[in-house]
Amino acid sequence: MKFLFYLMFVLLLVPLQTTVLPHVSVWNIKPDVGLVAAAFIGLFAGEMEGLLVGLAIGWVLSLFSAGEFWLSLLTYGGVGLLAGFLGRQVSQVTSISLGVGLLLVSSVSGLLAVANFKNLDMPQMWGMVESIVLPQACFDGAVGAGLYWLLSQRFDVTRLRAE
Amino acid sequence: MVNSRSSSGARRLALACFALLVAALFLLPGQIQGLLQYLDGPVGHVVRVPLEAIASIDVGISDRWQQYVSLQGVREENQQLRKDLEWLRGQNSQLRELAVATERLTALLQFKEQALPTMVAAQVIGRDATNRYRSIILNKGESDGIKPDMGVITPAGVVGRVVKTTGASSVVLLITDPNNAIAGLIQRTRDEGIVEGTQQGLAQMKYIPLLSTLRDGDRVVTSGLVGGFPRGLALGTITHIDKQEGALFQSAELMPEVDVSRVEEVLVIQASYGQSTKAVGGMDLPGKPSP
Repeated sequence: MKFLFYLMFVLLLVPLQTTVLPHVSVWNIKPDVGLVAAAFIGLFAGEMEGLLVGLAIGWVLSLFSAGEFWLSLLTYGGVGLLAGFLGRQVSQVTSISLGVGLLLVSSVSGLLAVANFKNLDMPQMWGMVESIVLPQACFDGAVGAGLYWLLSQRFDVTRLRAE
Repeated sequence: MVNSRSSSGARRLALACFALLVAALFLLPGQIQGLLQYLDGPVGHVVRVPLEAIASIDVGISDRWQQYVSLQGVREENQQLRKDLEWLRGQNSQLRELAVATERLTALLQFKEQALPTMVAAQVIGRDATNRYRSIILNKGESDGIKPDMGVITPAGVVGRVVKTTGASSVVLLITDPNNAIAGLIQRTRDEGIVEGTQQGLAQMKYIPLLSTLRDGDRVVTSGLVGGFPRGLALGTITHIDKQEGALFQSAELMPEVDVSRVEEVLVIQASYGQSTKAVGGMDLPGKPSP
């Protein structure tokens, strides 16, 4: 049942990310729902599920992006794994800590992607970091923190993590 | 109480899996990619179903919305005029190129008949899954004969080139992406260079000879020397020239001929000049793509 849920989720994530979200982008930046989802699955279902679902999300999204597939696998899988560890090691995960964690991971992933670009000189690289990587990281962090805050208002998230 | 469900064994297993994956990705990148490519086809077909469904709903909603907010007759007329304008621009570009080519070839008395490219029409069903690349997703893939490095155009000019394919879809890196590089030719001066995307979403032509007499407004077309594009397809118009003291080359900013943010249907060039035996006339292409 859980497998089917994850399968449906991963399949629906592609049209959501590639077709629906461009309409809600701010300054041409759309949130990375896959990254936020991998973090939440790791946080609530543990590191193993976080890793596996993160890898699946990374692989499927990489099929529909011009980016490198290894970076996608490592980013989403790594986020799921890290969130799993965070859920286990930190007793009180707050929306702020989750948001900051997502911001950092998104920034690192973005920096790696930009460093991997072939034709960019230094000013262009900094331009991309300023105009795409950092806003994207802020957006991802804000979406993750907002969702976690909404969940914590509606449910007892500490109990959800323990179940 | 924190999550107690996963045992420390599961934690170690997860870490070991991740470490193994990292090692495999860095030590055996080709093999891992090859292994995943077997799965790309079927997964691409499965993902295409919800993707096309949502894309068609998306197109339907935006069409309805546009019809609601604007006067229907004016909109249709405007669309028709835009299509005509694109058609004429493309035709103009081709004719200019043909005129120059004819003059040159006639002078050489070595005219050789060229076979024109075969193309397949495709619909845009999405944009890049990340913000870092400027790319579009097409609803045609390997099963339709599309392969990486094939050129993608509209009647107005070049859109980009295919970088990834699955069984039922393909990813096109747009001309405005900094990772894209296409061999270009300034139509008036016949100087060659490389056209790349810029961070601002425009394009620039690099490596133009210092002695070139290019000027603002000059049109740049594909040179046909490298890549999946035949000669003479419109790339853009020069808007600014950058000539620096002591530099070996000059560069120029281009306004791309195609507004890639609004493109909905495209043509993928399957075989370039000389590789095709089927003559599909230059600007008659939109009416004659392979099914």
